Amino acid sequence: MKEIIRGLTVSRRSFLKKTAALTAAGSALLTGGLVGAQTAPNGKPRRGGRLVVGVTGGGAKDKLDAHTPISLPDTARVHNLYDRLAIRNENFDLELALAEEVTPSSDASKWTIRLKQGVTFHNGKDITADDVIFTFQRILDKAAPKNEARSISFVDPNGFRKLDARTVEVNLLWPSGILLDALSGYAFGIVPVGYDPANPVGSGPFKLKSFTAGDKSIFTRFDGYWRPDQPYLDEVVIIDFPDESARINALLGGQVDAIDQVPLGQIPIVEGNSALRVLDSPTGSWLPFTMRVDAPPFNDVRVRQAFRLIVDRKEMIRQALAGRGRIGNDIYSPFDPCYPSDFPQRDQDIDQAKSLLRQAGHQDLEVELVSSPVGAGLVEAAQVFTKQAESAGVKVRLNRKDAGQFYGKEWLSYPFSQAVWYTRSYLLQAGRCALPQSPFNETHWTDPAYARLIQEAIATIDDKKRCEIIHQAQKLEWDNGGYLIWGFPNQVGAYSARVSGFKPDKTGAPMNSYGFGKVWFNA
Amino acid sequence: MSALAEQSAVAGGTSNPSQVRAALRLGRTRLGLALCLAVIGVALVGPWLVPHSPTDFVAGPFQVRAPGAPLGSDNLGRDVLSRFLAGGKALLILSVLATIAGVGLGTAVGAIAGYFRSTIDNWLMRLTDVVLAFPHIVLALLLVATFGPQPWLIVLAVAIGHAPRTARIVRAATLGVVEHDYIRAAEAVGVPWPSIVFHEIVPAISSPLLAETALRFAYSLTFVSSLSFLGLGLQPPTPDWGVMINENRLALTVAPFGTLLPAAALAILTVGTSLVSDGFSRVVAGVDRGIKS
Amino acid sequence: MPNPSGGLSIAKLIAQRIGSGVLVLVAVSMIVFGATYGLGDPVRAMLGNEATPERVRAVAHELGTDRSLVEQYIAWVEGLLTNEAKSFATGRPVSELLGPRLLNSMILAGSAGLVAVLLGVAGGIASAFWRDRSLERLASLISLVLVALPEFVTGIFLVALLSTGVLHLLPAVYIGSGTVLDPLALILPMTTLVLAAAPYILQLARATMIEVLESDYVRMARLKGISELRVVMIHALPNAIGPIVQTIAIVLAWLAGGVVVVEFLFRFPGIGTAMADAVTNRDLPTVQAISLLIAGLYIVLNILADVIGLLANPRVRHGSR
Repeated sequence: MKEIIRGLTVSRRSFLKKTAALTAAGSALLTGGLVGAQTAPNGKPRRGGRLVVGVTGGGAKDKLDAHTPISLPDTARVHNLYDRLAIRNENFDLELALAEEVTPSSDASKWTIRLKQGVTFHNGKDITADDVIFTFQRILDKAAPKNEARSISFVDPNGFRKLDARTVEVNLLWPSGILLDALSGYAFGIVPVGYDPANPVGSGPFKLKSFTAGDKSIFTRFDGYWRPDQPYLDEVVIIDFPDESARINALLGGQVDAIDQVPLGQIPIVEGNSALRVLDSPTGSWLPFTMRVDAPPFNDVRVRQAFRLIVDRKEMIRQALAGRGRIGNDIYSPFDPCYPSDFPQRDQDIDQAKSLLRQAGHQDLEVELVSSPVGAGLVEAAQVFTKQAESAGVKVRLNRKDAGQFYGKEWLSYPFSQAVWYTRSYLLQAGRCALPQSPFNETHWTDPAYARLIQEAIATIDDKKRCEIIHQAQKLEWDNGGYLIWGFPNQVGAYSARVSGFKPDKTGAPMNSYGFGKVWFNA
Repeated sequence: MSALAEQSAVAGGTSNPSQVRAALRLGRTRLGLALCLAVIGVALVGPWLVPHSPTDFVAGPFQVRAPGAPLGSDNLGRDVLSRFLAGGKALLILSVLATIAGVGLGTAVGAIAGYFRSTIDNWLMRLTDVVLAFPHIVLALLLVATFGPQPWLIVLAVAIGHAPRTARIVRAATLGVVEHDYIRAAEAVGVPWPSIVFHEIVPAISSPLLAETALRFAYSLTFVSSLSFLGLGLQPPTPDWGVMINENRLALTVAPFGTLLPAAALAILTVGTSLVSDGFSRVVAGVDRGIKS
Repeated sequence: MPNPSGGLSIAKLIAQRIGSGVLVLVAVSMIVFGATYGLGDPVRAMLGNEATPERVRAVAHELGTDRSLVEQYIAWVEGLLTNEAKSFATGRPVSELLGPRLLNSMILAGSAGLVAVLLGVAGGIASAFWRDRSLERLASLISLVLVALPEFVTGIFLVALLSTGVLHLLPAVYIGSGTVLDPLALILPMTTLVLAAAPYILQLARATMIEVLESDYVRMARLKGISELRVVMIHALPNAIGPIVQTIAIVLAWLAGGVVVVEFLFRFPGIGTAMADAVTNRDLPTVQAISLLIAGLYIVLNILADVIGLLANPRVRHGSR
């Protein structure tokens, strides 16, 4: 028994250590790409001040629900209104937050979660085990599953046991080693029993003061926040900016103190301004092209493979990201310890692409590409791809939608489009986009063999074995999937030099994971 | 806002082709023509002089200077100079087509209305009133909303706006000419009315007509480039001055040429046509807006 | 143009004008309907990628597009009058979006119009007074250039000069979407519109003033020995007012359409940006509503211009028997 426990604890620790090691090694390689470091904190943090932030996108569909954020403004709000049991910090390391312990049993068939002492909600009520259970069940609700439902599909929705006021035992439907990882997602905010998104109560660093969909939301400091001294700011204002030029102009004109995404080609404009700072973070974010494997012409795998050979990845990084990013190889989760660095790097091969298209009977292909400025670099990438596709005889018709329109009724059913994804570990990412019940399966890829492998990997405790299984799954995806992952962009934001505390963040969520709780205005 | 000049009905008066020559002798007409021809030259010949293809990537985005790109790169890293040289042709062609179509239609309507007067005149003018009840841009946007931004639609939308305004001017000028003896003589002899209208009347009103055409052309340019600027005219990656201005204006302070070159070209061209139009109106009006000739 | 002679009272003329204006508005509504639903397919525009044959049939029946055009038009007008029209983009009644935006645009256009008129008229009078001086010729040339430039070109240079480039005096864009109450946010878009409209008013005011100043009536006053200033203010100006006011109304009408590009440039939350966005998104109901609004405004202002023109015409004013 002891050996098994030690084995488990060791393997869990070593898993975490490996992740840390990988990211440390990774960041050593990546520091070469780190341009424009953040301000060294100017003295000690001070209380006070009102931060006005411009966030990309937003529209009439803006919402405050802790568990269903879609757009970037939704995400920004969620990061500040709510807090989770655990988080991924700026080095993409798992870190406990509201929880003081999240541990699996020896056979990983159940997990124990214990909350910290003295953590409370905005209304002063203590966070208890009941709230944790309520949160889980709300997310898993079969009638209205939330963003993270698929990530914790192994949790038994009726298998929660309250061990004491702060402790919950979570029973699983099948064993899994990744619950802690899953809980760190930003759509996993702990909410009180009876939570009503129309009147949101959370435990994040800020409370809601006012909210107007499509316009702005205002937050005030929550004095009972558990992190010592945080938050420093009195008030935060989040303003929707569906228009790119308006966003950067607002920063340049001093109307906002920070913006979450600087269009990458415009970074020199910000760098040239001494009143502004650039926050440049290499991330595991990815901006794929998505091809629906069940819609012509992409239902023919040769077409998908051809498209992956059309793209010149280095040119993409150079032109769409102004050099701020790393090339990809059609597999996500670059920071995952099981990332397949042994797969041969795909390069542009127009001849092979043409040959594949000819075999598929599509030598003069015309397709519509739906793009939108919902993330920096997206529309630029679409335009660059349009040009690259010409040489393979593919005519791409660019349909540029407004940010508010892109996430409308037709979202997730565009035959050929793009997406914005943050850094995640491989299994969690697959759960969100590559499995039959994934909430955001843009490519509609539903390979049963792949799903089985993923299932198996989730249940595998041993790291090495897990990586082997994941490797097999990744090979399937690499050969047949619908994603064209050409690169991992840096996340580049900008803020006034009067603000300190932002740090480069590998998780991909802009502005240091919208961490307004940790920043302050200089003296 | 040269569009408003439509409202200032050019005085009828006696007009004949020698006025055209008189207008061409004016300093400002010549300056205007020179400016126009310079820009038109660039627009027409430019596409053949491009050092790179307008859609090739030559450097990182928004570089103010780069090897191979003396005037810098645009929002995607394409050569500004090449895109500028290639960016005037489509705009010019669309504007010319729209002007010819609009002025042609408007002249026909206005001349016929002015010649026949009575009921025909009434109905034609009612029709133009209705079309004129729209701000031109609203009409164009209506059509784009239905059909999407297509080149033929742009020409149609712009032309439909020109026609009624031209018709009004032409009608006023025709009314001034129609009483003349040689018209009456032609009628008496039995010359068919189309011949009278198009071979006698139109040449007789050539000065105000030319002034109006120049004005309409300037307005076409402004209109088509504004549509492209809104993203509802010519579409990227087509190099077009209006599109370029919209794509590059954010980097005005670090890589200005992408915005300044096309803006300057548009400015020079519109000012040039304005001067030409002004030259013609002066000759027609006789009184140079207060300065007696 | 009605004949001012022969006993037609002013009231009748005005009523006539209003009557024809209403008819024009009806004709305009037919054009709006025809250009969008008549020529295009509103069902496909609404469904986009979801346009499977069954969905198309279902929605077509719901929208009534399987009926004759005339029936559709009548139903459409009814829908407008009862405020049923829903935006394709948000699914909410169109009027909800447009209310505050209309107010904003009226504030922008109104203030731009006011400043343009003041500058234009004052400049025109001064320019007429000091005609032929070299400074005046320069001013004349500058106004020719300003009138010729496309508005978005002027706007961009203003932004580069006063906002993001050389000086940082004024905000480059408007933030938020409520009612515009911040005067600073108004300045740049307003200035752009003024630079487009004022020179035109100036030139016309100048021409009118000169014409009046050279007229016999004024010459008589001068011969009588009245000072030039009195001549201008008391004898010349009142006769110049008619055409000038008419031009002003025409300029205001132009502004109704002219705001579209300027608002787009500054992301100003008015009906101009709403129109540009709605067209980009093929949101036909919103496009129709804004078109009718702007056209209606345009018609009203043109009627106003006509009426003022009639009133200012001395022959009509003093009656002719």
